[in-house]
Amino acid sequence: MSTPYYIPETNVPLPPKGADVITTACDYCIVACGYKVYRWPVAGGRDGGPKADQNAFGADFPVETLGPWVAPNQHNIVLHNGKPHHVVIIPDKDTKFVNTDGDSSLRGGCIAQKCYNPQTPTRDRLKSPLMRIYGILQPVPWDFALDVAAEVGNHVRTNHGSNAYGVKTYSYQFIENTYAITKYALRHINTANFTFHDTPSDVSSTPGFRDAGFDNFGPAYEDWMNAETLLVCGTDPYETKTILWTQWIMKGIQRGQKCIMMNPRRTAGVAYAENNGGLWLDVDLGTDLLVVNAIARVIVENGWQDAKWIEKWVNNKWGSSSGFGQGTRNTPWQWRTTWGKFQTKGFDDWKKWLLAQDEFKPEHAAKVAGIDVKKIYTAAEWMAKPVKGKHPKTSIMIEKGFYWSNNTGNTQAISALAIAVGAGGRPGQVVGRAGGHQRGGQRGGKYPRNKSPMKVPGRRRRALDTDTWTMSGHTRFAHVIGTTWIQSMCGSQQLAKRFEELTVANPHQVRSYDKQDIIDTLKRRADSGGMVVINQDIYLVDPIGNRYADIIFPAATWGEDTFMRANGERRLRLYNRFYDPPGEAKPDWWIIAELGKRMGFDGFDWKNSNDVAEESARFSRGSRKDFNMIKVAAHREGKTLHQKLGEFGTNGIQGPVFMKGDGSLEGTKRLHDTTRKLDPEGPQGANLFNKKLTHFNSQTGRCNIQKSPWSLFSDYWEWMKPKGTELWCTSGRTNERWQSGFDDRRRPYIVQRWPDNYVEMHPDDAKARGIENGDMLMVYSDRVPSLKETTLGVEGSDYSFTGQMKAGNVELTRAAVTGVAMVTRHIKKGIIYMDFLHTSQPANALEGRIVDWISGNYNYKMGVAEVKKIGESPYKKTFRSMSFAPRDII
Amino acid sequence: MTHRTQTPDSVASQPPSKKDRPAGKCLLSRRNFLFTSGVATATVMVTVGSGASAHEIPAMVATYPRKKIAKLSALKDDEPLDFEYPDEGAYAQSMLVKLGTEAGGGVGPRKDVVAFNNFCTHQGGDLAGTYKADTKSMGACPLHLSTYDLTRHGILISGQAYQSLPQVLLELKGDDIYAVGVFGLIFGRYDNLQG
Repeated sequence: MSTPYYIPETNVPLPPKGADVITTACDYCIVACGYKVYRWPVAGGRDGGPKADQNAFGADFPVETLGPWVAPNQHNIVLHNGKPHHVVIIPDKDTKFVNTDGDSSLRGGCIAQKCYNPQTPTRDRLKSPLMRIYGILQPVPWDFALDVAAEVGNHVRTNHGSNAYGVKTYSYQFIENTYAITKYALRHINTANFTFHDTPSDVSSTPGFRDAGFDNFGPAYEDWMNAETLLVCGTDPYETKTILWTQWIMKGIQRGQKCIMMNPRRTAGVAYAENNGGLWLDVDLGTDLLVVNAIARVIVENGWQDAKWIEKWVNNKWGSSSGFGQGTRNTPWQWRTTWGKFQTKGFDDWKKWLLAQDEFKPEHAAKVAGIDVKKIYTAAEWMAKPVKGKHPKTSIMIEKGFYWSNNTGNTQAISALAIAVGAGGRPGQVVGRAGGHQRGGQRGGKYPRNKSPMKVPGRRRRALDTDTWTMSGHTRFAHVIGTTWIQSMCGSQQLAKRFEELTVANPHQVRSYDKQDIIDTLKRRADSGGMVVINQDIYLVDPIGNRYADIIFPAATWGEDTFMRANGERRLRLYNRFYDPPGEAKPDWWIIAELGKRMGFDGFDWKNSNDVAEESARFSRGSRKDFNMIKVAAHREGKTLHQKLGEFGTNGIQGPVFMKGDGSLEGTKRLHDTTRKLDPEGPQGANLFNKKLTHFNSQTGRCNIQKSPWSLFSDYWEWMKPKGTELWCTSGRTNERWQSGFDDRRRPYIVQRWPDNYVEMHPDDAKARGIENGDMLMVYSDRVPSLKETTLGVEGSDYSFTGQMKAGNVELTRAAVTGVAMVTRHIKKGIIYMDFLHTSQPANALEGRIVDWISGNYNYKMGVAEVKKIGESPYKKTFRSMSFAPRDII
Repeated sequence: MTHRTQTPDSVASQPPSKKDRPAGKCLLSRRNFLFTSGVATATVMVTVGSGASAHEIPAMVATYPRKKIAKLSALKDDEPLDFEYPDEGAYAQSMLVKLGTEAGGGVGPRKDVVAFNNFCTHQGGDLAGTYKADTKSMGACPLHLSTYDLTRHGILISGQAYQSLPQVLLELKGDDIYAVGVFGLIFGRYDNLQG
C-alpha cells in the first residue's frame, strides 16, 4: 500500500533507439486504448537522448504538444527474462482507432505503475500459493496447494452436489482465462452456483435491450460522435470511459451535437455538454423510467416518432407473437415475469398504453424526478422533432447509474424510446451500453439452468442467486477468482458477517502439518455446514482472501502473459507479455488447468495461452466478438491465433471477423447495421452470418417495442426513498481511481489524490448538518433491506418487494461506512455520492440487498443513508492530499 | 518526430505548439546559467503529516536558477502574473498568483502566493488564461479538460493528467519574490533543466 506522500520526479529516462517496442492495450476501462511498451536493459546504462536520432520515438525533446512525452509515472523497472529492464509505457501515438491523437486517461496513462517492482508499493503482489495453517496464510508449494484444493473440491461436489461448489469470477479478465474458468465451472463442475463479479446471478445486465433485440455493444465509437442528438443515461463518459468522450463524443459536441446527460452529478463531461449547448437532466435516484417515458410521451403526442423506420423495423402484433422457439410463449421476458406485463401488439399498442399512464405526464414525471419540466420537452424536441421534414440522427447510451437503478424497468423504457426515435441500426443512430470493464468473456460451457432451484411459478428457472444461496449455507466450497465478492455486492456488511460464520468461526480449522490431515479437516468443515474458500488473485484482498480464504493462488496478469480481449466497440487486440510475473504467480488459465487435471477432468492440457485461445475460437462463432476466422486465417498462413491477431497491433479488428474471398480478414463496424450489404452468395467457408449483423436480435429480426410499467418498481422506490433526515445515497467510480483501487492503492499519486473514501454532498445538505469540507463523516442506515432466503412465493405478485416484505423474507439490517466530506456544487441537493468500491469503506454496504424481482440483478445505485460528522479528517487543514474543488470546472 | 496533425473538425484542440520555439535551440544551457544567473542550490522542505507528527523532509535537491519574478506589494488577489522559469525555453511559461487564501507552498504573510508552470501534464495543453478565482484552480485544459487545485500543490482535481501541475517553488526576501525550483517534471521535457 502507498502512503499519500508523493514526491514527484523531475526527470525521466528515455528509451534509446533500438529499444524493444511491444504493442498492447490498456488493462482498465471498456475503451481499451492502444499502448506501446518501450523496453531496454538497465545493464549498460544505455538510455536514450533528447535528439530525434538518440531515442526510440525519433522525436526531439522537448516534444510537441500531444507528442511522445514521458511522465515519470509512465516509467518503471521490471524483470524480463530474469534481468532488470526499463519500461516506458505511453499511449500509441500512431494508432488509427480508439485513442486517436495518442490520447489517454490518467488511469491507462500511468499503467507502467501497475507493473510489479519490489521497490514500489506493488511489492505486496502475491508471489506464491498460500495456505491458512494455524490461522496464518503461509507460503506452500503449488502442488501442495492444488492437491488440497482439488481433493476438497471433489469431496464437496460428490457429497453435497455440484451446486455446493460455488464459482464467483470476473467476467472480463481476458478471453483465455474466462474460457478456462467457464469450461471448468460450467462444463465440468456443472454448477448453477456460478456468477460474475458484478451480479449475484448469471443474468443479462440489460433485460430491456435483450427483449427489444439490441446488442449491448453494437455501436461503433464513431457513431457516438456522429449522432446529432445524444442521450447519455447514468454515466459521465468523461469520468468513466474517458477516451470515448475526449476523442469521440467531445468532437461530436464541437461539431454541434446536442448532448443530453441524465445523471444527478454535474461532473466535467456534463458541465462541458451543458456549456456547449447540451442539457443536464438532473433526475433523482430511481426516477429515470418516468422521465424517459415522459420524453417518449411528448414525442408521440406530437407525432415526432420516426414512422417510416418504425413501420419497417418494429414488430407488429404478428411479429411480436411469431417465431418458432422465440415466439411469445418462449421469449426472455416471458421467462422472467407475469404474462402480458411487457409485450405489446406493436407501436400503436405501446403508444396507447403510454398515453394511458398518468404518471408519464411530463409535469408528474418532472415533479417526482425533481427536475424542471421544460427539460423533458427540450429533450423530446432535440431527440425527435423533424427539422425541414428530416428526423434528427439520435443515439442513446446507457450505463450502470441507469440500468442499476431500476434494472428491468429502465432498460425496457429506454429501448422503447430508442425505437420511437429510430436509434439503433444506422450510422450515428445507435443504442447501446457505454460499458464498464472490457469484453474479455468467452464461455467454455453452458450455464446449467435446470439445476437452479430458483424458479418463479409458471416461468422458466432463474439463474441461482449466489449471495442468498451462500447466506443460506448451501455453498460449501467457494472458488473466488479476481473479485472482492463481498464489497462488490449489496448489503455487504451482512454478507461479510455470514462469510465469517461459515469460515473462520467454524470449529474445523487447519492446525496440522500433515497434508491428508489438512484435507480431512477442510472436508469436515464442509460436511459440518461450513464453507471452504479458495481465492485466485494478484493481491491479497481483504476480507475475502485475507480473512476468509483457506488457500490463495497467486495470479499473473496484464503484461505477464499474452492474452486477447475486445473493447466497447468489439475491437479485438492482442495484449502482449512483456515482463516476468512476480515470483511463482501463474495466469488464471494455468491455475484452472492444474485444478481441472487434478479433479480428473479432460481437456486441460494446454501448454500456453495461445492453445487456450485457439480452443476457445470456435465457441466465439456467432457472438459479437467472433474471432474464429482469425484462427482460420492464422492456420492457413502457418501462424498461431495470437501471432495473427498481433499483426493488427493496437488497431486490432472489430468482431465479428470474416474472411474475404482473397483470404484477408474483415471486421464489423457496427451490429444491427441495416445499411450493411453482406455477400449475396451467403457465407463462404467457415464464415458465419447471423441475424444481428444486419437486423436486430429478436425472433423476427425487427425490434420488439415493450411496455415498462412503473408499478413493478414503484413499491420499492416509495419504500426506499429518504424519510426524515435521510438522504439518497448512491455511488460510482471517480475518474482517477479504477474499480476496487487494487492498482491505485499502490500508486502514490492516486493515493495522494484519493486517500480515503469521500462523501459528495450539496452545500445546503452539508450546512443543515454542520458539515464542512474535510470533516470525517459517518454514513449509516438502519434500514438496509436484505433478502433472507431466495425469493419465496406462489403467485406472481408474491415476488414483488411488497410480496417479499409480507412474506417476512426481507430483513432490515444496519450498515455504517466512514468517508471524508466533500461539499460541492456538482451534486444535486438531497443526494450523496461515494466511491462504490473502496474496500475499506465499502459504500455498497448501504445499498439494499434486494434483487430486481424480474431480472435478478441488484439495483446498486439507489440506497438511503443518514450522515453525521464524527470529527475532522487529516485532509481538512493540510494541503498535500485530496482536493475539495468541484469537478465541474470548465 | 511524431507529429499529431489535428483534423479540421477538432475545434477545441490546439495545433502542435512549442510556443514557436524549436526544440533544443532556445533553451539556455546549464552552462549559460552558471555564467549569467548564478546558481541557487535549493533544498526544498516539504511538510508531511499533520499536527504533532508533522515534520519537514527535503523534497529534492536540485540546481535551479534563482530568478526574481515579482514584488509582493504589487500583487493583487486573483490577478495572475506571467513569467518564465527555469529558463526561457519551450514550456517555461509559468504564472504567479496571489490566491487570497492559504495554499500549500504559498509564500507571503498569508502564505497565499503560489506559482505554477502553464502546461498541462497530460498532453501539453496551454493553460494560460484559465485561472479561476472562485475555485482557485487552473483549467479546464482546452485539450482534454484537466483541472488543477492551486491551493494543494497543483493536484489534479478532475481529468487525465499524469501528475500535478509542476509547482514553481518560491522564496520571499523583503518584498521580492524569487523562483528557486520546480516541483514535478515540466511537460515536454525529460529533465527540467535539460529540456
